[in-house]
Amino acid sequence: MKKYAVIYRSVLMENLQYAANAAMGFVSYFVFIFIFTQLWNYVYSDPGQLIAGYTREQMIWYVMITEMLWFGTRAAAVSGQAAMDIRGGNIAYQINKPYHYALYLLSRYTGEWSVRLPMYALLSAVTGLVLVGGLPGFGILTFLAVIPSVVLGITIHAVFKLSISFFSFWIEDSNPFQWLYDKLLLVVGTLFPVEIFPKALQPLFRLTPVYTVCYGPAKLIVDFSVEKWVEILVAQLFYLAAGCALMFFIYGKGVKRLYVNGG
Amino acid sequence: MEAIRVEGLSKTFQVKRKEKGMRGSLKAVFHPHMEKIRAVDDVTFSVQEGEILAFIGPNGAGKSTTIKMMTGILYPDGGKVEVLGIDPVKKRRRLAYEIGTVFGQKEQLWTHLTPYDNLKFFGAIYDIPDDEGEKRIREIAELFELGAFINTPVRNLSLGQRIRCEIAASLIHRPRVLFLDEPTIGLDPVVKENIRTLIKRMNTELNTTIFLTSHDTGDIEKLCRRIIIINSGKVVLDDSMEHLKYNVSDTPLEDIIMEIYKSQGRGEAV
Repeated sequence: MKKYAVIYRSVLMENLQYAANAAMGFVSYFVFIFIFTQLWNYVYSDPGQLIAGYTREQMIWYVMITEMLWFGTRAAAVSGQAAMDIRGGNIAYQINKPYHYALYLLSRYTGEWSVRLPMYALLSAVTGLVLVGGLPGFGILTFLAVIPSVVLGITIHAVFKLSISFFSFWIEDSNPFQWLYDKLLLVVGTLFPVEIFPKALQPLFRLTPVYTVCYGPAKLIVDFSVEKWVEILVAQLFYLAAGCALMFFIYGKGVKRLYVNGG
Repeated sequence: MEAIRVEGLSKTFQVKRKEKGMRGSLKAVFHPHMEKIRAVDDVTFSVQEGEILAFIGPNGAGKSTTIKMMTGILYPDGGKVEVLGIDPVKKRRRLAYEIGTVFGQKEQLWTHLTPYDNLKFFGAIYDIPDDEGEKRIREIAELFELGAFINTPVRNLSLGQRIRCEIAASLIHRPRVLFLDEPTIGLDPVVKENIRTLIKRMNTELNTTIFLTSHDTGDIEKLCRRIIIINSGKVVLDDSMEHLKYNVSDTPLEDIIMEIYKSQGRGEAV
């Protein structure tokens, strides 16, 4: 595991040099949040009103947290990097090293979001406090309890993105599949919580990665309960194990079909 | 002792072919036409430990594909490869500790980090303890004269300095076999000469087996004692440099090689 920690540290060093660049993404994040805050302020005509079980504050904080995860964890390492390495031939340098290429990319990704996500978390906290005020019931204990869920959610997301990336061993471009997966996450779990959708669809959504990647961690932050925490962590561990099995399987099959030419 | 043994090695690629123009593009959507190309065809040779071997051929002859099969990157369709007694297909990660690779047209260094950080990184990847790693970085920095730019981010280095660092990074784990795929491509004559001197020193001081591909006859003449020429995926010549030069002493090596390429025909392999 030490070598993966070294990869993580090297990416961290690399990314710290460009931390200011991440600030550029703040603008689109802030515009996004501002629009959604206005939208929910308009929809919640009565201050005590509940929509799908969420108060106005909880709904806005939910969107802010899922968007924070969306913006703060976007990285090429798990979306386009494998395809780029395969097409450009640089994979030759990656797979003849004494590490597993999938875990190498996962370590890179972790190093990338480790720099960006805390910056977005700070921005979200300030924006949220200014636009809607504090989140009732959220304290330091809740914060500490949800950290494992957030980290697991991001890792599950990475594992599924990497599995899709490894389709590049068979097809020239895995981007259309990445696009479908991203849009599923964005519409179903990021912009709106699962409870907003018709009851008949909700069990289906709970079977998708949405439940463990974005809905779960955000739900715990806005409406924490120990039962929910245990339920989400168990689901996340199951998804992580299944996702890793899928990722290693696709990689194992794909790498045998690798076709690198051009020197 | 044999460092590399290759027997009947073959690799076939499937390549998409498309008729010209828009009509061809549309046709390819519904009826994709795949063509099989034999990139490496029944190649057999061996390399002794401590030897410097030139493995050359025209573009698309199958040189890089052969190297990639020897280093475990590509899976052969047929035949057998053993590098230091290890099968690259079955034990790729174990083999990685014993070999180094430099692909002249590709980058393995982290461009935003300095050469020092890169060497430190590769040391850790190869499980070298910190103290030992520091010692090796000092040795390599001295051998490759990296001192002046060891703390400059790689992206700010010249091509020659970067290639020196690429080779240095491939040596941090003291590989017994080094695969150099066009290491001097794009370099000016002075830097080329420096790189050749370094390769020679690695071979004499560390007894590293060098497997070199290059289009530069200067590299071949100054470094190698033996030459293998591959064309259309097949070995067309396997001879010592001395014998090759002795037979046609008045002809420059470049012309000899050109003649061999022409007489064998330039196949369109991958």
